Amino acid sequence: MNVKIKKIFTNVRVIILLVFLVLAVAAINPRPGIEGVVIRNIITNSSAAEAGIQQPPPTAKPVSRERILEIDNRPINSVADYYNYIDTLEPNQSVQIKTNKALYRLTTRQNIEIIELNETVKKTIEELITINETINGTVVEKNKTIKRQIDVPKTKKISKGTEDIGVRVFNAPTTNIRKGLDLQGGTRVLLQPETSLLQQDLSSLIDTIEERLNVYGLSDLVIRDASDLTGNQYILVEIAGATEEEIRTLLAKQGKFEAKIANKTVFVGGKDITFVCRSADCAGIDPNAGCSSSQGQNFCRFRFSISITPEAAQKHADATKDLDVIENNGKYLSEPLELYLDDTKVRELNIGAGLKGSATTDIQISGSGTGFSQQEAVINAMGDMKRLQTILITGSLPVKLNIVKIDAISPLLGEEFLKNAMMVGLITLISVGIVIFVRYRKLQVAIPMVSISISEVIILLGIAALIGWNIDLAAVAGIIIAVGTGIDHQIIIADETLRGRGIIYDWKQRIKNAFFIIMASYFTVFVALIPLVFAGAGLLKGFAITTILGASIGVFISRPVFARVIEILLRE
Amino acid sequence: MEDNKENSQENATEKNEDRESTIENNTSEENKTNPNETKIKLPKIKLNFSGMKKIYEGQYKKLLIIPFMLLLIAILLIGLKAAATGDFINRDVSLKGGVTVTIPTEQKIDILQLEDIISKKFPKNDVSTKSLSQFGTQVGVIIDVDIGEEHREEQIGILIEEIGKVLNLKLTTKDYSVEIVGSSLGASFLREVVTALLIAFLLMAIVVFLYFRTLVPSGAVILAALSDILITLSIVNLLDIKLSTAGIAAFLMLIGYSVDTNILLSTRVLKRKEGTDMERIYGALKTGITMSLTTLIAMTAALIFTQSEIIKQIMIILLIGLLVDLINTWIQNVGILRLYLERKARKSIQ
Repeated sequence: MNVKIKKIFTNVRVIILLVFLVLAVAAINPRPGIEGVVIRNIITNSSAAEAGIQQPPPTAKPVSRERILEIDNRPINSVADYYNYIDTLEPNQSVQIKTNKALYRLTTRQNIEIIELNETVKKTIEELITINETINGTVVEKNKTIKRQIDVPKTKKISKGTEDIGVRVFNAPTTNIRKGLDLQGGTRVLLQPETSLLQQDLSSLIDTIEERLNVYGLSDLVIRDASDLTGNQYILVEIAGATEEEIRTLLAKQGKFEAKIANKTVFVGGKDITFVCRSADCAGIDPNAGCSSSQGQNFCRFRFSISITPEAAQKHADATKDLDVIENNGKYLSEPLELYLDDTKVRELNIGAGLKGSATTDIQISGSGTGFSQQEAVINAMGDMKRLQTILITGSLPVKLNIVKIDAISPLLGEEFLKNAMMVGLITLISVGIVIFVRYRKLQVAIPMVSISISEVIILLGIAALIGWNIDLAAVAGIIIAVGTGIDHQIIIADETLRGRGIIYDWKQRIKNAFFIIMASYFTVFVALIPLVFAGAGLLKGFAITTILGASIGVFISRPVFARVIEILLRE
Repeated sequence: MEDNKENSQENATEKNEDRESTIENNTSEENKTNPNETKIKLPKIKLNFSGMKKIYEGQYKKLLIIPFMLLLIAILLIGLKAAATGDFINRDVSLKGGVTVTIPTEQKIDILQLEDIISKKFPKNDVSTKSLSQFGTQVGVIIDVDIGEEHREEQIGILIEEIGKVLNLKLTTKDYSVEIVGSSLGASFLREVVTALLIAFLLMAIVVFLYFRTLVPSGAVILAALSDILITLSIVNLLDIKLSTAGIAAFLMLIGYSVDTNILLSTRVLKRKEGTDMERIYGALKTGITMSLTTLIAMTAALIFTQSEIIKQIMIILLIGLLVDLINTWIQNVGILRLYLERKARKSIQ
């Protein structure tokens, strides 16, 4: 027996398989008991971003991502640990975050909420603006003050605890295997451009989408183009840990932003805008308008300032110079500045009379959010503001995108699925092992067969980890099927070699006979699944590729090993 | 070389014809040729099968009627369904367009009652509910509604709220999964996967033909695969299973599995020289049944334990398909191969 075992482990094919196994395990890089929580996202303009914590690149391997190990010398080992500690932070407290890469110091901010009182006050606001005026052909800078009186509800600022430090985390992954969305939760969107695009336009579209999502603060994402057999173009976006609504509003909108005066376009989002303010001093809930409520509905106004290019400012001057000044609660121009988003008018801003014919580059954009409670209204207003800012910064998409499919998978369900999928794999393997043992009554057949199947799965997962492709439920189904055909092929090998031993063929011939059948079945599975790689926007691509890859590993690496091993074990 | 092979096959056929009259002899001889396997096969079971064996070996032409009748009925049923509903399968929301909401919950929920309540709220839509189950116990609910493009967001909001009311929960986005498929995408998906299936079938036929280079045996393998798909599809329809994209992928896999056993059979019978035809058929049968049995058991286990609807549907279709394949390989294909060999033998005598 010892001689046989020695013979097995000195066999070239067995050694090749073992090398593959070692490489696969290295690629999977299992780290049981890995410490800390992994940074998924850093919210823009948050105190964490200010402290210099880097937004992780989406291509980073799961195990090599930056991990938070300690906060204020307290070990952080789970998402729960993280939030439990973060919740105790006071405003203006200095926090020390230790990651596996660096030590960061940040100061928490105060979360200010504006509470509105049940009375209104008259308020005169003064706006001081610098304008460029053309007098006798030369541009002169002039300061102008406009006075305006408005009714505002009396408001009071109160501190509502600590502002979130702006780090999104998830439990540290113990392997480099990337879990697909249906196993970890997140949102998958399939977008179809309204008109068909050239390849270069498609890639620039993908870049714009990526920028838009990144500006919004989502970075853990996969964007790729996909097509189907009839030549339809799709864009597939997968974002871990994002909600469906965020994605819908960010991507379904083309984001064509136009500002018009008397139907003449003054400036558009993206190229005409040089700066969008996103810091608290010039963006946020409008301190002059605040929040109000009527009939159970709460409204909150937001405002932020933007700067436009001198050319756009000149257009503003041209459009306003011939307008009349009318008296309506203050002096305004006869035509308002109208803001259009995707050809729908979203706001109308009255232009102060003082701005007539001026080439102003600073413009304030405002809007509002509603909600059943004031808190909800604030959240909605701020959300709308953030989305509008994102659209203004990144400009419009070259074409309107239709959302043709959205899958939003709850992280709880994903976790359940993963545990379940692993258990199902184990149960199927055990039951197959039992059947094989009952059939052959030989451990020399059953043990190699089950071990070969396990090694096929490990190599398959290793390759998946190496090329960074996601293991989702369809891929799990592919693995189960690859293992199933693997067992079938090993049964063919076992039967061919055990059959009528010693009579006509030698071992070589028997194994050749077995592989004749195995190759035929391999080729048919291969060609049967190839069309699926290209069909239906690639949604079943994972399934097809996993199955093909699994079958290929089996046929070329592991199943020949099985043939050699049982030859060594059973040959007299 | 070719002549030699033909001769041996011819001999084999003649020998085989002799055998048919002396079945008892045959079995005992088989025992002698395979002494290793006697300890596995229990003699008691063998006795029970001897009557069946007689029919299997002697009446193979009459037995051929079974798979062909099944195929005919299947084609008829699929045709009737297509004529009645305009669709040859039951499409689920992933192929029709609509919304699927999955809610994992510990609560015991009467899904029929839930379906009733939601149907009342969405009278124009097709509503179906399923249990999300593991080990046969309910761990959540899945609700499919074929909500169209119009006012979709609003409708989904109403749906979630309604489900929340039934479950007595305030559902936040973290608590449920929602999958939305546009109806045009659903229809194009169906076209796509059916095209993929046709291409796959064609490529498979080419591979099989290149492998055997003879019309009848390759035709038999291809026919078996076609029968597998059609009969399985009609059974799936009869069971009122709503097919998803994953389900159609399962039909693709079925091609692979079905071809496996058929190629095994044809290779053993046509390309091997040892023993008689019947012996080689039994050899292939033994290997083939072991293969199907391991796969069937693995799939049953997966079917019982999995939560995922994707995996469940793939497994149930493969399970039905493999059972159908047992008939199509070991009755249909065996019958055709034996007829083919007989005719070939007769020709070479003339």
